[in-house]
Amino acid sequence: MKKAVKDSLDLIGFRFDRKTEKLVLKPNMCYYWDHSTGMTTDPKFVAAVVDVIRECLSQDVEISIVESDASAMKCRYSFKILGYEKMAKEKNVSLVNLTLDRKENVEVKVDNRSYEFEIPDTIRNSDLLLNIPKIKYMAGVKISCALKNIFGCNPYPKKFRYHSDLDRVIVALNKAMKSDLCIVDGIVVNGEYPTKLGLIMASEDPVAVDSMAAEIAGINPKHVRHVMLAQMEGIGKMACKNVGENLEYFIERFPQKNAKKEARKVILSFGAAMLEKLHSVFSVI
Amino acid sequence: MKRVSVGIIGLGRVGKIHLHNALHLENVNLVAVADTSRKSRYFAAKLGVNKQYSDYQELIQDPEIDCVLICLPTFLHAKSAIEAAKHGKHVFVEKPLARNVEEGKCILAEFSKNSQKIMIGYPLLFEPSFRKMKRQLDSGRFGDVVISCATNISSGPFGHSTSNSIPQPVPSWWFNKDLTGGGALMDLGSHMINLLCWYFGGEIDDVDAVLGHRYNLDFEDYGLVRIRFGTGTLGLVNFGWFSQATEIKVEIFGTVGNQCVRKKSEGALPTKIIQILKGDVNKSSGHYNELKYFVDCIRHNLNPYPSVRQGLRDLEIISLAYKNQVQ
Repeated sequence: MKKAVKDSLDLIGFRFDRKTEKLVLKPNMCYYWDHSTGMTTDPKFVAAVVDVIRECLSQDVEISIVESDASAMKCRYSFKILGYEKMAKEKNVSLVNLTLDRKENVEVKVDNRSYEFEIPDTIRNSDLLLNIPKIKYMAGVKISCALKNIFGCNPYPKKFRYHSDLDRVIVALNKAMKSDLCIVDGIVVNGEYPTKLGLIMASEDPVAVDSMAAEIAGINPKHVRHVMLAQMEGIGKMACKNVGENLEYFIERFPQKNAKKEARKVILSFGAAMLEKLHSVFSVI
Repeated sequence: MKRVSVGIIGLGRVGKIHLHNALHLENVNLVAVADTSRKSRYFAAKLGVNKQYSDYQELIQDPEIDCVLICLPTFLHAKSAIEAAKHGKHVFVEKPLARNVEEGKCILAEFSKNSQKIMIGYPLLFEPSFRKMKRQLDSGRFGDVVISCATNISSGPFGHSTSNSIPQPVPSWWFNKDLTGGGALMDLGSHMINLLCWYFGGEIDDVDAVLGHRYNLDFEDYGLVRIRFGTGTLGLVNFGWFSQATEIKVEIFGTVGNQCVRKKSEGALPTKIIQILKGDVNKSSGHYNELKYFVDCIRHNLNPYPSVRQGLRDLEIISLAYKNQVQ
């Protein structure tokens, strides 16, 4: 795995700045879902990235693995359950719950709307923010990869509050906390179901990464609002050059989500929830 | 014969199932609920429950109530069951009976002093498929059962299915072994241990276990328990919180025949919608039938099964499994 990570960086011609001292690694931890579901970054993959960093820079660089509490996930448990606590000990890196970190307020504008976020000191004071996302289909935003992963750097725990305006909020957070490098753990991906895709994707541009991820997932990147918006806001460019394996190989194997089936499921779930509400109202009457 | 006046303590996931079922049982008069959550109390009020308490001790002291359903976290089972018995209430307590054998013995001692009835909530015993298997076993349909495997695998409290889009928070007590008494063995394994004991009798010759910790917590999240029953049957309990796919089944391998029965799924979404439209509950479910049975036991002065002795025996088997771990 270490060799594959190193090869991906060589392919894009990435070289770590020798002056880099503090690195922040942001894997995707989503609820307490096991990495084998394709929903969370495999700690073994992050461990390989740590090894590559130390090999390229020095054994003494300060590496922090970060995540924040969410509506249904608490870092104190997810670090343990998902295997990060064990890995951090083995690799001598620190685990930071951004929700408990010191923060500073920052205001950003997206699509002429203003957003204010608290930016954790661990990210503000880092020399390099390394984004290590998954490739997942996600109802609402269609594709969850590098841009969406930065949503988890927002220390505010009640994240459902942003869900009605998710596309813009994702872009705003990426403006406030720009990824310097993205290395995608596409070894197991999640679409209609989890699949071992064996993909590692690297780029300095999170918009390019998400554009590629959407294509692999069988989604036209131009139909993904937050990717389009991120390009418009200058975070990166969708147009990019593939310097690795043939994309078709991954597109053929990605378990594409059946959009019609998904829509039907969402409508039925919504209908059932509404009926349940109506039922309780009528029970009272 | 008068209806049984019921109070429900704890309106978590299982408490809400009992709430719906109690409202649909003709011999039940659901008098009150108790929960620390205002939202849960409001939920019960909307469904027509007249009294809502924030402190369960007030419910236990309510003279209008004959029977309490205890659906609290495990660490509160012993305390609340004993208090309820002291106030002359019949008690239905969710499994496991308590956190450990010592607490279980305290409950047994209290209920031995008086005539109140106590039943432990093991809904699988009231699932039609598992009841049919019991009848077949008792009739000798499979001959002598040499091996039986009981499986209860699911995503457990830490991870509902990834196909449901909105993850639900996990109550913090689930992460504390001192409050739960154990991990997946207490949660899921207890169901299957109780079921196998019902099938093959309560005499146990030997128990050991292999326990696993995939999620790095200080309690087991999967494992296998081997039980040698006095009847000669070798029981294997296979449990775990690691899977997105739920499987609850019992396999029987006998000298005459083999059989595998599964717990029927709760039904597809369209079935659920029809159920909601009818304003109905699932009357073939284990939860519905166990409550109906317990209420009938109270009304006809019968001793319910599984009672405190069976709940305590299950805790003793679990305690042996923790003690006799095969590395």
